[in-house]
Amino acid sequence: MKKIFLIFGLALFVIGCGNQNEYLAKGKELIKSDKRRKEERAVREFKLAIEQESDNAEAHYLLGFYDSQEFYEVDQSAWNQASIAQRGQHMFKAYQEDPGEYLEILIFDTLRDDDVNVQKAALEALTLVYQKGDRKQLLKQLQKAIKSKDNRDRHDAHWVMANIGTSDPTTMVPILIELLKHNQVGTRLNAIKALGEIGSEDAIPILAALIESGSAKRKRDREEPEVRQLAVLALGKIGGKAVPELVKITQNKGSSLRVDAIRALSTLGDEKAVQPLLDALKEKSSREVVVKLRN
Amino acid sequence: MFRDIPIILILSILVFALGCENHYYDEHLKMEVQQLDSDLENRWSTSGVVVKAITQNGPADAAKLTPGELISYIIGEYPIQSPREFTRAVKKAMADDNNMLLYLKGKQPLRIAVRKIGDKVGLEVEGSGSVRIKEIVPGTPAANSDVIQVGDVVEKIVDERKIHSLNDYKKTVNEFSKLNANLTFRTTELIGVKIAAVTALGNLGDARAVESLIEILKNSKELALRKAASRSLERLVALSELNPLFQQFQQENANQLPADTLDSQQRESAEILGLLLTDPAANITTLEAPFGIQFRHRSEALYQKVNEGALVELAEQYIQITTEPEQEIRRACLSILGTLSPISAIEPLIKVLRDQNEIPGIRFQAGLALSQIGTPAVDALMTAFNESDTAAKDIAASALGTIGGTQARDFLINALETTDDPAVQLTLVDAIAKIGDEFALSALERQRQRFQEDDSAIRIFLDEVFSSLTTPFQ
Repeated sequence: MKKIFLIFGLALFVIGCGNQNEYLAKGKELIKSDKRRKEERAVREFKLAIEQESDNAEAHYLLGFYDSQEFYEVDQSAWNQASIAQRGQHMFKAYQEDPGEYLEILIFDTLRDDDVNVQKAALEALTLVYQKGDRKQLLKQLQKAIKSKDNRDRHDAHWVMANIGTSDPTTMVPILIELLKHNQVGTRLNAIKALGEIGSEDAIPILAALIESGSAKRKRDREEPEVRQLAVLALGKIGGKAVPELVKITQNKGSSLRVDAIRALSTLGDEKAVQPLLDALKEKSSREVVVKLRN
Repeated sequence: MFRDIPIILILSILVFALGCENHYYDEHLKMEVQQLDSDLENRWSTSGVVVKAITQNGPADAAKLTPGELISYIIGEYPIQSPREFTRAVKKAMADDNNMLLYLKGKQPLRIAVRKIGDKVGLEVEGSGSVRIKEIVPGTPAANSDVIQVGDVVEKIVDERKIHSLNDYKKTVNEFSKLNANLTFRTTELIGVKIAAVTALGNLGDARAVESLIEILKNSKELALRKAASRSLERLVALSELNPLFQQFQQENANQLPADTLDSQQRESAEILGLLLTDPAANITTLEAPFGIQFRHRSEALYQKVNEGALVELAEQYIQITTEPEQEIRRACLSILGTLSPISAIEPLIKVLRDQNEIPGIRFQAGLALSQIGTPAVDALMTAFNESDTAAKDIAASALGTIGGTQARDFLINALETTDDPAVQLTLVDAIAKIGDEFALSALERQRQRFQEDDSAIRIFLDEVFSSLTTPFQ
């Protein structure tokens, strides 16, 4: 959070302090203080700030960030306004007022917050950006995040991409598939996780090829074991048409991923898995075989 | 220095060329082998090459190797007929891992190991056709063994090679075949795969799995696999018991039904197994995708299979400690019998209940299974109570209390009034309280009168029982 304030501080300094919204200033002061129930009191100030100045980006953002249903009685109108969706709306409003600033803040800062509800509100806001805002810019930033050196950024980006991709796979799935070529393992891992969560059957052939790459002739053509393992789990999440691929893996006796594939099949409950599993049980156990060579 | 470069270059090209392949057709054995996945080794500490395909009527086919087997060791045996053969065999056997097995006539096979490559084993031999030890060099590994004596006849030398890669495989087979050695392949079972398969079959709830799982439980030598099989069978039985519930969905051909049309106990069990979800407010029970929905089509077949009898017969055998040393399997079998509650299980269950060599927890579980069987088990439980040690009395009384009914009740009351053993009294009070009808309560009241002056545990317990009976909500 400190970083945000620094950014805000600088921004305000540049704009000039003269016309800062009084309520907003008070709210921010409260957040910085160690007063009791400071967030709850700050939220009141942010609401007043918006009343006075309905296009104040910072006030909207901070209201979205700090408001919480815990402050109110259930079913009060304020309680309803503090829902995740409403908080996301406020964050989105901040984005609308200042897209350049807030898109980056939402992706690289807000998603990182420890509070799950803040993360969800940011997801809500980013989904709105996808639907109504600058989609191209959003996708660019998400790809930047999933390619980041920082694992947290990659994880957050995968989460947003998976969620957006679930409602609109046709745009997101090709992007994620393209990311499977990225040279950073962490990026590929997160792209695969997102593909699994989206559950799009379009990803099946690519995932299958990636899993199969373990037996490639040259080592450099082989995908990392952990990525391949995750690809099996992703097939398990996709289910349906992925079942035959999973069955194929369980039948490849040289594959290290047989156990993973079997586990994935066991949760899918598909009848097609039964016979291959019964066959696996019939495989020979440890033994000694005497071989006579013919010369 | 520089003259080494071409050699290094050649070697690296060679290594590269060899390393590239991951399939290899072995002309000696007429079969194709395959390198294990690069990362398989690290996962189950296994190594070797996998048999991929076998050409008909070749040596591999004749030896009855099968595709999928993992060859982890190749063992070569060198018959020794001359001192030259002896020297060569020792050198070869020591080459890789610095150790070998020496077979001397009339003696146990002897492992001889040297510290590093090139160290002498320390044996000189003589003779032709059959070779004897001529000399043992002092200060060598051979001299350190007090088994080897001058004059011993050398039968053969055995060389065990661990196979890590396709290259190891090629090298070893080529070498052994040149030396005319007899070959033995030692294969490793990828037990992890089978355990996963067994567990998955338990989860999938398919009737076809029952026989294979019984077979594994009976005949496998791998304990971990047998344990997994017993757990899976336990789950299949639990699933099969939900058949009436799933038949309701099946008859309506629906994945959603009003919750109150379903048996609440079965609904709860199914919920615990993750097969369905109930929304109490909307009064709707929904089968969970994907498994719950899939299972409704398989439920009837599983129910039929489980109740064919083979499973009960197996469980009745494997609850006995004399048959099954592993308690986890005995427990699973007890649970199976409890769920299926066959009358035929009463006798074997009573045996477990009374078995003083059995651990208390399992004896107690046998009592639980008997109480699940219910009224038909009452006679046997009464006999067990009369004839057994305190622990068995405890369990039998508790089971009778759970079953309830006039016969069990009167028996327990009579027992309470005639016994003097304080420990048994406590159990009986508890059991009678569980029945809790008018007769039971008045019997307990009589006991309270009897122990009124007493400060014993039984008095305190009786008071507790009454206070909990009169104020049931606290």
